[in-house]
Amino acid sequence: MAEQNLQRVVVSGIGIITSIGESLPAFRQGLFNGACGIGPVTLFDTSGFPCQLAAQVQHENLKFFFAPRETKRMSRCDLLGLIAAREAFSDASLTPEVYEGKAISVILGAGAGSMLSWEHYRRSTYSGKARTRPSVLLSVPQCTLTDSIANRYRLCGHRATIATACSSSATAIGYGFDLIRSGDSDIVVTGGSESLTELTFAGFNSLRLMDSGCCRPFDKNRRGLSLGEGAAMLMLESYEHARKRNATVYAEVLGYAVNADAYNMTSPDPEAAGMSAVMAAALVKAGLSMDRVDYINAHGTGTQINDAIETIAIKKVFGNRHALSIAVSSTKSMVGHCLGASGAIEAAATVLAIAEQIAPPTLHVDTPDPACDLDYVPGMARKQPIRTALSNSFAFGGNNTCLVFGRAPMPNGKKGCAL
Amino acid sequence: MTDSVITGIGVISSLGVGREVFWRNCMAARPGLKKITGFDTSALQSDVAGWIDDFNPAQFLPQMTYRRMSRASQMAVAASIEALDDSGLDITIIDKSRVAVIMGTAYGSSSCIDDFFTGFLREGPRCANPFLFSETVPNAPASHIAMFHRITGPNTTFCQNMLSFETALLYAQNILRNNNADIVLVGGVDELSAEQYACYDALGCINKVKAGDGGRILPRPGGGFILGEGAAVLVMEGREYARRRKANMRGMLKSVTTVGGGFTPGQHRKQCGQLSHAVSIAAKEAGISPDKIDQISICANFSRELDLFEYNQLRAFFKSRGDTLAVSPLKYLMGDFGGAGAVRAAAVLLSLYLQQPLPTLSAEVLRVDSVSPLSWNTGSSCTTRAVLMTSATLTGSSAGIIFTAAEECGAA
Repeated sequence: MAEQNLQRVVVSGIGIITSIGESLPAFRQGLFNGACGIGPVTLFDTSGFPCQLAAQVQHENLKFFFAPRETKRMSRCDLLGLIAAREAFSDASLTPEVYEGKAISVILGAGAGSMLSWEHYRRSTYSGKARTRPSVLLSVPQCTLTDSIANRYRLCGHRATIATACSSSATAIGYGFDLIRSGDSDIVVTGGSESLTELTFAGFNSLRLMDSGCCRPFDKNRRGLSLGEGAAMLMLESYEHARKRNATVYAEVLGYAVNADAYNMTSPDPEAAGMSAVMAAALVKAGLSMDRVDYINAHGTGTQINDAIETIAIKKVFGNRHALSIAVSSTKSMVGHCLGASGAIEAAATVLAIAEQIAPPTLHVDTPDPACDLDYVPGMARKQPIRTALSNSFAFGGNNTCLVFGRAPMPNGKKGCAL
Repeated sequence: MTDSVITGIGVISSLGVGREVFWRNCMAARPGLKKITGFDTSALQSDVAGWIDDFNPAQFLPQMTYRRMSRASQMAVAASIEALDDSGLDITIIDKSRVAVIMGTAYGSSSCIDDFFTGFLREGPRCANPFLFSETVPNAPASHIAMFHRITGPNTTFCQNMLSFETALLYAQNILRNNNADIVLVGGVDELSAEQYACYDALGCINKVKAGDGGRILPRPGGGFILGEGAAVLVMEGREYARRRKANMRGMLKSVTTVGGGFTPGQHRKQCGQLSHAVSIAAKEAGISPDKIDQISICANFSRELDLFEYNQLRAFFKSRGDTLAVSPLKYLMGDFGGAGAVRAAAVLLSLYLQQPLPTLSAEVLRVDSVSPLSWNTGSSCTTRAVLMTSATLTGSSAGIIFTAAEECGAA
């Protein structure tokens, strides 16, 4: 593809709902104030599990956000996604008058959130007691949110739902970047949604990957992850398109890379070959030298193995010395591990970090770990210059994704803060 | 723009395990629909599916490798082995960071999901099986392909219901165009499970057909789809790359387009236009007029709404062909599943390569509501230069794909 035909891609809208904030302003406040959304789960019975905490969105009944007819047959996961999408459209000032007739694609990442509806149904058929209506199964396919958003806003561009576990929505943002950059789409609604489910709660407990307290990424005494739920949607468009309509721009998407460890379904490659290669490839794609990176939103799950290997990977890419000068934080210490939505939520956090020039903190890093010796911005957010930033997502199956963001372009072509 | 060619095909299907058996049965229009014997269907309204009763993973994989894989992963890896073998690529000597794996699936392994969850219900939270859990993610088949061949390039899985392969194919083309890989293994997979079958049965959307005496099966057109399972993997690469390594080109991907309808799910008849729009874009991008399309592989699957929708859309696009429009609804033979597009694409590419047209039916059957046996036209002979493949979901997505014979095989 000819370089000169490539569009610059910007983020012009964000919608988000998480355990630390059920709107963009609330999330922003929670993110930079170091709020922790991890607490007892009320969505289902967790007694009997070694871990009983998760980062649950406070509103148990999300239908509160919609008119009754709008929520018919929708799963909790889809409702979370629709809430985020609605905010993203509004935040980007995209009204039907602005976007009608445009090629708008919906590219989302999915996890296991839609399984919550199936679990209700399966539990009833398994027990043989009162049977749940089969219509709840209509929201089980992973792509129902993608179709719901496209149909609700009458969007006629590409639709795709990526399901690569914890890197799903990061890869979706990368694909959205491709579609804008190549001119295939004018606007892309991208992101992901996840709700807590018994399936994932039981699964991660069975793998003994969950901390019975709050997760503490990069801390010496970390014992595993805390699951979370939420959704984040980003509006991507070309810089030219955003400029013509005087849109607010948060940041520029500079590039991304995806690869595979090809090592193990549940464990990362101990040599950190895949993780380091994906960061290095993303920097090459973005045309960036490593000394331009000031912040990394780490995958940072809080498991012993992930955090140590991610630290090794960062050092491999940036060198031991420069790696120490980069602020690295884990948003999961606040919002938990939102699986299919985590890439999008963390991308939103990274974009906000660039827009506000504040590195978000990592919570609960109380005891230093010699195996995790980078600057994890412990406890409190930090005001600092952030020219470019990476957002890492590493998934089951060895799927790795790294997104690269930079400061919003200024109208005169110089780089600067958000317009 | 990079032209993408397909140089390897691997198929595990109810029409046959392995490319050659699959092709023979496909050409004879020999249905892969059978009475289900793998699980109990006595309480269900149907007992028929395009399920695979002769797939043995040991034919393809060492036992140590496949024993912890789901059936979906086993089928996907087996198809990838056959596809790579067909492509002539020596995977041991190429840069594996330049090879991508892109798969489409509706659910991945629905049996592992159900086994894990019912195990948890039965045994309690502390006894859930961790080995099953890692197979519940839809990207497990693509990850197993990567692990088996040690492929470290881009690896992504698309879940877009019955358009899963088609969206994967679009992304695979995107990867080659953006020079993110030299070779892409692109495919589709889904497995049939008791729970998945029971759910569709409860929703009332599958064909209420029971196998008759002697296994005779007469699905009711318009009576709902028939579930299937299978996997196919295609080896796709840039034409120049394939030329340089003197690869045997099965066919060329000229264009692939997906569009959304932006309407209420299930309202195809009221708000049509999206599929013919996708086909128009695909034809325009391929530089091919409707009269130059020699075959049409359609996505009809016995469901009234989808089949009629497709009929109307195709009639609008192929106006000049009138009542003579012939179509190849392969799902009538093998059932439907999220990755079925990959198996259909495999058939299209073999047809282009071997210059043997796929069996066809008159498009009029798509709107006929009868249970008489379908009258397939098999064994015709004509030059096949371009094939249109259409796909649509009941939730508003449509795709148009155009494959042509590779110039190098002389039929173009």
